[in-house]
Amino acid sequence: MTEPLLEIDGLRIESRAGNEPRTIVGDMSLRLAAGETIGIVGESGSGKSMTARAVLGLLPPGLVASGTVAYQGRQILELPEGRLRQIRGGEISLVLQDPFTMLNPLRRCGRHVVELLRDETGGRLSRAARRTEAVRRLAEVGIDDPGVVDRYPFQLSGGMRQRVGLAAALARDPRVLIADEPSTALDVTTQKEILALLKRLQAARGMGVVLITHDLRVAFENCDRIYVLYAGALVEVGPSVDVEAQPLHPYTLGLLLSEPPLDHKVLELPSIPGSVPRHEQVADRCVFSTRCPWVEDICTAAPPPLLAAAPGRASACVRLGEIRSEITARRATRVAPAPLLARPPSAVPLISARDVAKRFGSVVALDGVSMELGEGESVGIVGESGSGKTTLARCLLGLERPDDGEIVVAGIRAENIAALDTATRRRLRQAIQIVFQDPYSSLNPVRTIGAALGEALAVAGRPASGVGALLNQVGLPAEYQARKPAALSGGERQRVAIARAIAVQPKVIVCDEPVSALDVSVQAQILNLLARLRDQLGLSYVFITHDLAVARQATDRVYVLYRGELVESGPVDDVLDRPAHAYTRRLVESVPGAPKARLAEAAEQLTMEGGS
Amino acid sequence: MSTDGAAIIVAPTRVGRRSRRRVPIPIVLALLFLAVVVFLAFFGSAVAPINPKTQNLNASQLNPSSHFWLGTDLLGRDIFSRVLVGSRTAMLGPIIVALGAMLIGNTFGLIAGYRGGAADTVVMRAVDLMYALPPLLIAIVVGGIVGGGYWAAVAILVVLFSPYDARLIRGATLEQRDRPYVEAARTLGLPTRRIMVRHVWPNLLPLVVANTFLNFAFALVTLAGLSFIGIGVPPGTPDWGQMLADSRTLIFTNPWAALGPGGALVLTAVSMNLVGDWIYELLSDRGRLR
Repeated sequence: MTEPLLEIDGLRIESRAGNEPRTIVGDMSLRLAAGETIGIVGESGSGKSMTARAVLGLLPPGLVASGTVAYQGRQILELPEGRLRQIRGGEISLVLQDPFTMLNPLRRCGRHVVELLRDETGGRLSRAARRTEAVRRLAEVGIDDPGVVDRYPFQLSGGMRQRVGLAAALARDPRVLIADEPSTALDVTTQKEILALLKRLQAARGMGVVLITHDLRVAFENCDRIYVLYAGALVEVGPSVDVEAQPLHPYTLGLLLSEPPLDHKVLELPSIPGSVPRHEQVADRCVFSTRCPWVEDICTAAPPPLLAAAPGRASACVRLGEIRSEITARRATRVAPAPLLARPPSAVPLISARDVAKRFGSVVALDGVSMELGEGESVGIVGESGSGKTTLARCLLGLERPDDGEIVVAGIRAENIAALDTATRRRLRQAIQIVFQDPYSSLNPVRTIGAALGEALAVAGRPASGVGALLNQVGLPAEYQARKPAALSGGERQRVAIARAIAVQPKVIVCDEPVSALDVSVQAQILNLLARLRDQLGLSYVFITHDLAVARQATDRVYVLYRGELVESGPVDDVLDRPAHAYTRRLVESVPGAPKARLAEAAEQLTMEGGS
Repeated sequence: MSTDGAAIIVAPTRVGRRSRRRVPIPIVLALLFLAVVVFLAFFGSAVAPINPKTQNLNASQLNPSSHFWLGTDLLGRDIFSRVLVGSRTAMLGPIIVALGAMLIGNTFGLIAGYRGGAADTVVMRAVDLMYALPPLLIAIVVGGIVGGGYWAAVAILVVLFSPYDARLIRGATLEQRDRPYVEAARTLGLPTRRIMVRHVWPNLLPLVVANTFLNFAFALVTLAGLSFIGIGVPPGTPDWGQMLADSRTLIFTNPWAALGPGGALVLTAVSMNLVGDWIYELLSDRGRLR
């Protein structure tokens, strides 16, 4: 390996605010050479973003970093603020996740890019020179329209904003670029473009890139080497290809397995039980020991060191020697695919929507969309942001009144819920329920879990004493009823939201992106829970998602929406393996880790299986 | 990895429980001071060393002494005792104004914000109208012409304060209305009133409480101002505003005649504001942290 540009050794980030010190990152080390892309992969709370901020000296107040962070041999952590400022942007630059908030809404795009540009003597550039430079820089990130220089961020799409942000980060020609979830907030098709752009820029400039992501597929596709971070500690390091093919740590294996496979549906997703602990809860042992199936006394005795396990690879598993073959075997095992059973749509559909249209001002959200949901069926509505999928769901629920069209839910005309009499409205409300995307805002923060669920039970005329049983049904202990939402993890909250929905014994649950705000290791749990409840309670789902792999696992049929129009529908395997519409094809091809070859192969295989 | 179909998830043990924050010293002092004022509002006349209404023209305009701690006024009444007993009008009226305005303002604000549409228009236009009226002037005109004394002034202030509360609560309600937890409650089919009162309102509590404390302090100063210009309490009643007016002529002979009631007024208002801010922070943390 060449001389590293950036080298982190024993980085520790602690919070010294308050009486009790907290540790965010326990021990982080990495090396980045010029022209190399490394990935820091971790779930929420793993400390990956704070690591990036520590490198730039941008930790929030109250957090203190120790250890060594060396940029070309210079110790960054010891530099005074004035020197750090020269490194930031000039030598090491940062691109943030959210394209909607990272640009100053009052400044035109050009100004973001050329703000710090100076000529060779350090003087200010002339107005004309600044403009030329801004246009040139934006062209570099693929914005060919010179008019964008004069536009305000709110006039641009998310992908365009992310490009402007990238151009601004690259304005002073840094040698290291840290990209913190640069594509997470974007649609898959845009995500793909941004990641490809990043790769191109890196190759052209010979930069070192640190890509921070929670998405393993994104990391595998874009990085040379991967650092897997869990609860503030490194658990595995290795080249992408090797880590993907043969993980050397139980956590990495768990992550890989709990990703819903892209190409086939499985009976049940393997999932990691529990949720990510905070670092100080596991600081004295192997950080993964609380959730690891191979845990033994040696794992909890002391925090295991990160040791070389193979050429260029390291793992923090003390039992690696004993369980290595087992890990390899599990990785190789193809999870049992679900039988392809085409459920015949029942004669009387539970939901039927015809030509539903809705516009907000001049924006057409839905343009004559029709759909049906049969009894016991799970129907997916897929599409990117702005496709109208959430608006459709809200119309089904009566939270939004369509301008035109007809909606029948459980035999009740539901397009104008306000016009229904009270008894009918109540029947309708009990027939259809919702689980929202964000478990952090879908529960009332000031009420206890017990109060929230008791209320839902009361609506259906069931006694509040059923709260405990309801919690058990979604896999939570009954003691949780005394807690408030803030005391629960994201996955646990989503379980509570599901419990609230099933409390009124509905026929249909509309799941609006129910797993997209959750960590990968928790996603699988929730998907499994939804599948189990569907079987046990005979539920039907309208499953809204942007994630095609999730759609494949959770639905029987899908409707593909694009800009308010229905472009394609059919059995999920047909639509995803043999997309008929150009947009669906683009969507399928944009999924990270889905090269065309793999798709074609899968299609072939499925045709064979389906034919036999 | 285990496949956890129905497995019960056990919560990680909480290690870093947030330690109870220590109450800052200024807040302790403010709370102590307010406790004393509240106590005096009830028992002021029992505690006062000298009857605050006893006139003694032989002892008029005295400087502070061991007998008259803050000296006496023109009519020879003990200023210290009058300050103590003055706590009554200083606490009672403002509390009623603050709570009354809160009740009216919250009701209308919640309805306007949550219902929207026509209800919102009606309430907000009424609020706009009230905004156009200068409160102090209205109080002076109504109080001065109609009369009715202290309680009339309190009632007027309740009416004049509530539109400000209504607007504040409406804004906060609008912010909550489209949150998923409210929509989930709607989807459950809960009655609108229950959603407003049991779901939305508790989330506004920090704001409501802080605003009520601010209103209290503002009402205190406004009522004292009205007393100062002779509207409100009948002459002779021990009241901080009126005492300030009475002691104008004494300012160079016995400054304590003005500093006593004035200081009490300022300290009470400041304490209320401090405590209000502190409670706001406490309540805002509730629910957010484990």
